[in-house]
Amino acid sequence: MKILVSLKRTADPDNANKVKVAPGGAKIVTDGLEPKVNPFDEYAVETALRLVENGKTRIAGDTVVVASFGPKEAATNIRQSLAMGADSGLLFTTDDDSLDGDLVARALAKVVEAQKPDLVILGKQAVDGDSNQVAQVLAETLGWPSATFAMSVNLSADKKTVTVGREVDGGVVKLTLTLPAVISVDLRIVGAKAVTNNVTPAAFAYNDGPRFAPLPMIIKAKTKPIAEAPLASLGVDTGLKVRYTGFELPAARKAGIKVKDVADLVERLRTDAKAL
Amino acid sequence: MSDLFNPTPEHLALRQTLRRFAETEVEAQAAAHDRDEAFNLPLFRKLGELGVLGLTVPETWGGSGMDAAAVAVVHEELSAVDPGFTLAYLAHALLFANNLAVNGNDAQRAKYLPDACSGARVGGMCMSEPGAGTDVLGMRTTAVRRGDSYVLNGTKIWITNGAVSDTELGDVFLVYARVEGAPRSKLSMFIVEKGTKGFSLGQKIKDKLGMRASSTAELVFEDCEVPVENRVGEEGDATLHMMRNLEVERMGLAAMSLGIARRCIEEMNRYASERKSFGQPLRDFGQIQRHIAESYAEYMAGRAYTYWAASQLELLRPGHRLDSDGVKLYCATMAKNVADRAIQVLGGYGYVGEYRVERLWRDAKLLEIGGGTLEAHQKNMTRELRGTDKLP
Ligand SMILES: Cc1cc2nc3c(=O)[nH]c(=O)nc-3n(C[C@H](O)[C@H](O)[C@H](O)COP(=O)(O)OP(=O)(O)OC[C@H]3O[C@@H](n4cnc5c(N)ncnc54)[C@H](O)[C@@H]3O)c2cc1C
Repeated sequence: MKILVSLKRTADPDNANKVKVAPGGAKIVTDGLEPKVNPFDEYAVETALRLVENGKTRIAGDTVVVASFGPKEAATNIRQSLAMGADSGLLFTTDDDSLDGDLVARALAKVVEAQKPDLVILGKQAVDGDSNQVAQVLAETLGWPSATFAMSVNLSADKKTVTVGREVDGGVVKLTLTLPAVISVDLRIVGAKAVTNNVTPAAFAYNDGPRFAPLPMIIKAKTKPIAEAPLASLGVDTGLKVRYTGFELPAARKAGIKVKDVADLVERLRTDAKAL
Repeated sequence: MSDLFNPTPEHLALRQTLRRFAETEVEAQAAAHDRDEAFNLPLFRKLGELGVLGLTVPETWGGSGMDAAAVAVVHEELSAVDPGFTLAYLAHALLFANNLAVNGNDAQRAKYLPDACSGARVGGMCMSEPGAGTDVLGMRTTAVRRGDSYVLNGTKIWITNGAVSDTELGDVFLVYARVEGAPRSKLSMFIVEKGTKGFSLGQKIKDKLGMRASSTAELVFEDCEVPVENRVGEEGDATLHMMRNLEVERMGLAAMSLGIARRCIEEMNRYASERKSFGQPLRDFGQIQRHIAESYAEYMAGRAYTYWAASQLELLRPGHRLDSDGVKLYCATMAKNVADRAIQVLGGYGYVGEYRVERLWRDAKLLEIGGGTLEAHQKNMTRELRGTDKLP
């Protein structure tokens, strides 16, 4: 089993209030913010690792490869996923500003052709642009089955299919995909028992959340390979399809009001908010 | 991506792991364990999974083989949320595991270090006695050679991890004693395990001002017989072991001070924006600005000194006493003052547990006493500086 995970670095989402808009609204300025792995991509790494593990040990022969597009410094972020347990990294260098969801998806398709993974796992979206495009465009480009916003993943014992749980308004939809396939993951995928592979015993519970990189793995990650090549080497058209015409900050939130009681609340919802 | 505080990418990654672990796993339990004066053993064992219980222990014995800068990183990050828990960690990782890794022989390392690194057994170090603290060479615990054993008699006090609950002894200890007839300056060290005949918990010390999430105990040795192979080094070697290990201990305690200071600065800085008085945020008032700005500058001065000193400290060699005493002397009082200012900035809210700085203030005071009092550092440093006419 080989799993490819894509990983984007985003300006420190814990300090999102420090993001500024350049004068004139030409672009977003994130100077001084530490680039961190997009949280949903971290969940994707966690999902991939759980699929190739038998509880606390790795299944021999299974591999997780992490690919990223961006400046050389993104190697640091790849290294973090190697410290979590991924086996190797691929970095395709370019400017952060020279990428859009379409280009990343088409470039990833080239990576898939070369790497031949059984499964591609992505975060459902990056918390900076929130575009939510790459998984869908990638699956379409490859002609592979896909399931987005996964909250649970179960890999069949024969490793030929995955059953993905997706939260929808009325409940949970389960889709069974034949591998190779593309999955994008949502927050709940890192719940203690959200990912199962018919190898890890049913009684085994992971810690909630993406795992901490333990120190011995941090040290080991130093020697794991990260192959670096220019984005252009993938032979994709590097033109951008998404054009931004301008940025502005959302209007400051107005102060809320206090309601007297439930009757007042219902009245306000009906008249002021027109929500009922 | 390397700097003074994160000398290599591995130090940075270690810091990130510890910070997230501290925020997600340590923070939520800190107030309750302080209130209940309880050591959180399950949480402690999770540090084993992270590979930091044997932080400086070579990989051969189950450790991570890291350096003094890593010691500073881990203690700083954990202490920013729970200094009491961090003190228990320090006693285990530095006073026991590092001490044995540096001073023990291979048989002793193989026997005790893997369990210390995994957290299967909790370790500590016994130096202080009811009658001898700063005057450590005045200790009275004796060891008498009898055939293939030594017989230990004496009482140790203030032993962190001496108990893991109100009634239960910790698992394994490095105990300093004087072999009968040896001169004042010649101490020896013995490994004593729970279950050894004549070794018992005198009492768990209750009602501490701070560091209440670590257990502190009185331990009693009454005709306690330990085999010769449990002697660490030769008879009389342990005075050097002690001095060498105190250096890294003081580095760890200085880094704990940094964690406390950082957290207190964050708390007062945020509060000064949120809280209004006379229609203005507190941070607009000059007197509040002084609390915040001086705290930050002192914190950064202490931080730079500590990480510089860590970069000079070699775990296997003594000879860094001037600065390992120096960083603790400076940072302990710095942290206490910063915590005090944080309470002042928060006013009445700072005085109650919910706002955390009260606990950090109580915890900070210990750093002026444990691992050497301020006065001991002043004495040591002045002695080290004798004859130094020009500083480099
Ligand atoms: C919470 C806690 C945890 C601890 N953990 C451990 C542990 O794990 N293992 C361990 O062995 N010990 C431990 N200690 C003991 C600690 O190291 C001692 O408390 C410390 O060394 C001071 O010794 P003392 O308490 O006997 O004070 P004393 O040495 O009696 O000192 C009392 C006062 O006199 C001053 N003084 C003493 N001598 C001089 C001098 N020559 N010149 C000027 N002033 C002097 C001191 O600075 C201090 O102000 C711990 C203590 C505490 C409170």
